[in-house]
Amino acid sequence: MILLEINNRVVEETLTVKIKNAQAGFAVLKNESIDITVADFDGVLYHISNLNGDKTKIRTSISLKFYKQLQEHGADELLKREYGKYLITPENGYNVSVLLDLENIPDNWTEVVKKLGLLKRNCFASVFEKYFNFQEKGDEAQKRAVITYRDDETMYVEAKADRVTVVFSTRFRDEDDVIIGKVFMQELKEGLRASHTAPPVLFSHREPPLELQNTNAKVDNNVGYVTFVLFPRHTSKNTRDNTINLIHMFRHYLHYHIKCSKAYIHSRMRAKTSDFLKVLNRARPENKSTDKKTITHFL
Amino acid sequence: MTEQHRFGNTVNPITCHAWNKDRTQIAISPNNQEVQIYQRSGLDWKLLDTLNQHDLRVMGIDWAPNTNRIDSKWKPTLVLLRINRAATCVKWSPDENKFAVGSGARLISVCYFESENDWWVSKHIKKPIRSTVTSLDWHPNNVLLAAGSTDFKVRIFSAYIKDIEKTPEPTPWGTKMPLGQLMAEFVNSNAGGGWVHNVSFSPDGNKVCWVSHDSSINLADATKGNAVCKLRTEFLPFLSCTWITNRSIVAAGHSCIPIIYEINENSQLFFVAKLDTSKRKKPRVCLP
Amino acid sequence: MSATLKPYLTAVRHTLTAAMCLDNFSSQVVERHNKPEVEVRSSKELVLTPVVISRNEKEKVLIETSVNSVRISISVKQADEIEKILCKKFMRFMMMRAENFIVLRRKPIEGYDISFLITNFHTEQMYKHKLVDFVIHFMEEIDKEISEMKLAVNARARIVSEEVINRRKIQIVQLLNDPELPQLKTGKIAL
Repeated sequence: MILLEINNRVVEETLTVKIKNAQAGFAVLKNESIDITVADFDGVLYHISNLNGDKTKIRTSISLKFYKQLQEHGADELLKREYGKYLITPENGYNVSVLLDLENIPDNWTEVVKKLGLLKRNCFASVFEKYFNFQEKGDEAQKRAVITYRDDETMYVEAKADRVTVVFSTRFRDEDDVIIGKVFMQELKEGLRASHTAPPVLFSHREPPLELQNTNAKVDNNVGYVTFVLFPRHTSKNTRDNTINLIHMFRHYLHYHIKCSKAYIHSRMRAKTSDFLKVLNRARPENKSTDKKTITHFL
Repeated sequence: MTEQHRFGNTVNPITCHAWNKDRTQIAISPNNQEVQIYQRSGLDWKLLDTLNQHDLRVMGIDWAPNTNRIDSKWKPTLVLLRINRAATCVKWSPDENKFAVGSGARLISVCYFESENDWWVSKHIKKPIRSTVTSLDWHPNNVLLAAGSTDFKVRIFSAYIKDIEKTPEPTPWGTKMPLGQLMAEFVNSNAGGGWVHNVSFSPDGNKVCWVSHDSSINLADATKGNAVCKLRTEFLPFLSCTWITNRSIVAAGHSCIPIIYEINENSQLFFVAKLDTSKRKKPRVCLP
Repeated sequence: MSATLKPYLTAVRHTLTAAMCLDNFSSQVVERHNKPEVEVRSSKELVLTPVVISRNEKEKVLIETSVNSVRISISVKQADEIEKILCKKFMRFMMMRAENFIVLRRKPIEGYDISFLITNFHTEQMYKHKLVDFVIHFMEEIDKEISEMKLAVNARARIVSEEVINRRKIQIVQLLNDPELPQLKTGKIAL
């Protein structure tokens, strides 16, 4: 798996099983209750449960620590557009809740379930869509959006008439991760340079990029900034979904591959170390008691 | 013609060994606290006895050819060495009434039997030894003792014990010989390095030969005003040297091959031949 | 093998062969102790002048010899940041397994990446020439291994970034097929 999935597969599959069982008929009578919690990237939690203990009502809720910030950028409106009539008052402790009624399964239920799997992605999408729209209108007066998507990690989005700039700050657990991260960013930069249509990607370690100077953006050894410059061809109505999918997962994508690289290095080191041990053990003389030329004595 | 013998079923290195007078028995230590004595019977060697009264690794063994005493004791006899560091080497005197022990305490113990008390007592030679004594050899006159040390020096001492022997005759090394008298001192190397691994008096007692860690073999001749001849070799350091005649020496060590050197009229050393021409890799060699 | 590697390793091999002429030597300072003199340095006459063999500024070997032990410290080639962390990780990995590696020191000497400590007890139990072979083998392999690991990380990075870029290419294809944007169909877009 080179690219990470943007949907939440557990949520999707859980709901699919529920609906299929309900459709099979027999399940309606003895529908089992459900109460599961699923974690996702960025500290996001999903909770799937029955509304008021009614086994035919499946409620899917999501909690994002930074939902307030997303709301400022029209998350509520976007979710209304996407989930419409399925939205209900959010469950206590969660930001958004969506209800599926097993007694009234919509015909396009697969589509709905797929959308539920994308709940987190759609929450994020609001910010991008908003600034993509600003750019289309040539509205430059808007303040830059700041989303603290993880403790210590922030995303900045800013619109200009000809481009949208997205900057991620990301924290590396140790210095080695920074260096492996740099290798990845370097390759990406070179790959993108070769393909003229792709947007430039910049990576800076320690210092925030020019756009974020004079803000309270962090400066330290374990922080890195990834900057995407998106031109109209990336933000147009037709392509923006793809762009959002890619960009909002980019941070996880980067960290996932850093982890994979480290695991790979580790397995190689283990193999080589045992090879070195083998060579060292060759220096031990074997007991030559089987040597036929000598007459052996037993002590 | 060399013979190869194998003792026991061990892969341990043999740290030291000593033969009896007619070479029918050998004492070896397999790198631990034991001394094993083997008896020859035809082509075979039989384990005769194991001496395991020591509590630390055996560093040196010497077999007195005539009285059949092994130092590190055949019949355990109490010896008071009065040293508080490891003993490194031991040698019976030619008359077998004394033996000398070199040690890490930077001194030599000269031991002799005190019959009234029925034990061995020791006298120390300390000055001017600055480091561990690595090797010892007795002069044929039973009095002089050559000592090599890791302070890069070879010294000739008197080990005269007034209580048990007559006043010794003068030798080319000197005339007055009270116990502990430094008769001669040779610096192995002025440039540092070169721990002395082994010393050996020539059969006539007039020359002393030593080998050291700088891969050299050295000769000092008392009849030539203690002139020293140093021959640097291309081999790894020698660990032992022994005289075959008054003019020839065998040396062996880390290169795992014994080599013969000869001495000309001017007391100069020169290479003669390698004794073992096989190409096989062998552990380092020590000579008896 | 590059032109300078062979003489470098040959020099190390010969120096090690000479340096591994070790003797059992009990401490002359502490009773009943037998410690590697190159580590305890209790008597200066028992330690030889250290030798440094260097191939270039970054790659060098320090060989410190004493009467009963020799310490070999290796500075491994590290051309860039990634090689530096790979080397650091690898050496740490090995040193954590020092008890298996009997001759490996748990900490390198300052200024070097890894140190071996070989005592007379090792040369008594093992073939000396094969211990030398081991050190040389280690030196040959470690450079190779680090550069191969680096290549592997780079290759992964390349594949990953190609995947990202391809995603974007799909966008452009979608764009070209978009009837609302006919002008793009005639425009030149390099993919």
